[in-house]
Amino acid sequence: MSKKATRATKPKPDPDVVATGKKSAATAVKKVLFVSQKLLPKDADDRRLHLERFFHPGQGKEALFVTHPDGQIMELLEYAEPRRSWLVNSEVCSNGRIYMTTPLDPTLLAIHHLRKHCAQRAMSLDNIAVEEARTSRLLTEFLNPDSLKCVADVKRSGDQSFYKYNQERTLAWLALKTRQVAGILKEKQVHCGHSAQSQNFVRSDKLAAENATSEMDYTRMASDIVGRYLDADLHDLLTGYLHIPSEIQAIVEEKAATQKRKSKAGKDDGSDSKKIKLSDSDVGAKLKSSGLLDSDGDLNASVTSPTATPAPLKERSLTAKEKALAKGAKGTKSIASFFKVK
Amino acid sequence: MSITLDFNGKNLAKSKSLDLHYLPAKVDGDGEANVEEYFNNYTREAAEFGTGVLTNALRGYPLMGERLKVPEGYRGLVLQETDKPLSESSDRQLRLTGVFDEFTYWNYDKVPSNGDAYRQALVMADVAQALSQPISEQDLEAEIARNKENTKESP
Repeated sequence: MSKKATRATKPKPDPDVVATGKKSAATAVKKVLFVSQKLLPKDADDRRLHLERFFHPGQGKEALFVTHPDGQIMELLEYAEPRRSWLVNSEVCSNGRIYMTTPLDPTLLAIHHLRKHCAQRAMSLDNIAVEEARTSRLLTEFLNPDSLKCVADVKRSGDQSFYKYNQERTLAWLALKTRQVAGILKEKQVHCGHSAQSQNFVRSDKLAAENATSEMDYTRMASDIVGRYLDADLHDLLTGYLHIPSEIQAIVEEKAATQKRKSKAGKDDGSDSKKIKLSDSDVGAKLKSSGLLDSDGDLNASVTSPTATPAPLKERSLTAKEKALAKGAKGTKSIASFFKVK
Repeated sequence: MSITLDFNGKNLAKSKSLDLHYLPAKVDGDGEANVEEYFNNYTREAAEFGTGVLTNALRGYPLMGERLKVPEGYRGLVLQETDKPLSESSDRQLRLTGVFDEFTYWNYDKVPSNGDAYRQALVMADVAQALSQPISEQDLEAEIARNKENTKESP
């Protein structure tokens, strides 16, 4: 959790690598899973669950999904704390991770392929990505064609349906999804304001009553969560569609507001500090190192929400005050960073 | 390459129930250990810290824990890969070792609370549920119409 150079920051051997035989272990590594009851085979069901790799747009690479032969698909997330292990009956298990299945709308995964292949012309699902067996399998086996109405124009000819990517519908659909997520964040009282100091005190009644987190903070976090499943450019479009200001801007505005309040009694102490010009690349580097962008402290863990990583603020330089703020925000992390996609 | 979780409904129903402890320590190594005699034997209830709080120690380091249920709607499984795959591309199989519905969660010298990363992380399950909820077509049409009006108002 901390970024101190302790023993825990040493790169851990990935248990999956061990399992593939690169390093021989005495006993095969056990894995602890939380599997949704919906997915588990019932008594008379003789079919098996599978782990399959499909392209994950937010990761920009393939990730593991759990599939049931009847067409259900769920995402496999990995929960890893730096120092954890299991005792299973009378055995020690060094793999202290929990693998958890979470429900997933495969339409989110399909958007990437639709944008790639069906932006210009309508195609039928079995004609998209014929050369990629896995993508084709995803689109034909696990995707509910009806759900594509939300992100594409459907043209029917006889029995066949053809789909053409529709950006307007997609953004509206994603915006609704974002609102659903924001709703649950609010319901669970997840603290997602940038002013979060310590999440340990989140559930205290006082804080809950104060209701410090604004609507926009929830929306921003929700859009980041939705964005984990989107191509980076589409996530940017969504952020624009929802009129979400960038996080730094929000911090500065809020700070300015408190400054005003404070300095009302006294004289105005020049809240317009001198601007220091920074080149764009500098700003990007600052952002990255500030930890504002959710890059996880754990070196081993890949960046958890890649879509949150820079859409570097263009033509905007940071004042000294902003930089100090960014530094102060170092180490705060969102709940999204607890999980990474396996 | 595909990975099969090699169990069917019957295996699942007949599988044995496991006793699990989620330890706040990194252990280098896997294998047998006399958990019953050297660990479970020392688990005590510590009512002074709250109901259901347990205490124990691992190599002298104090542990505080509690019995936790697997999140609602989920089942805990322990899987193991018994035969090593010959190559990266060959099919792999994970076999079922056992199931569990409860486990003991241990913290190092801290009463388990909502501040624990584990508990906070579980919110993601609800978030994913909300994200995967389908959206009705009426709602979508309404949203598109609303957006159109908004853009008209503020060109």
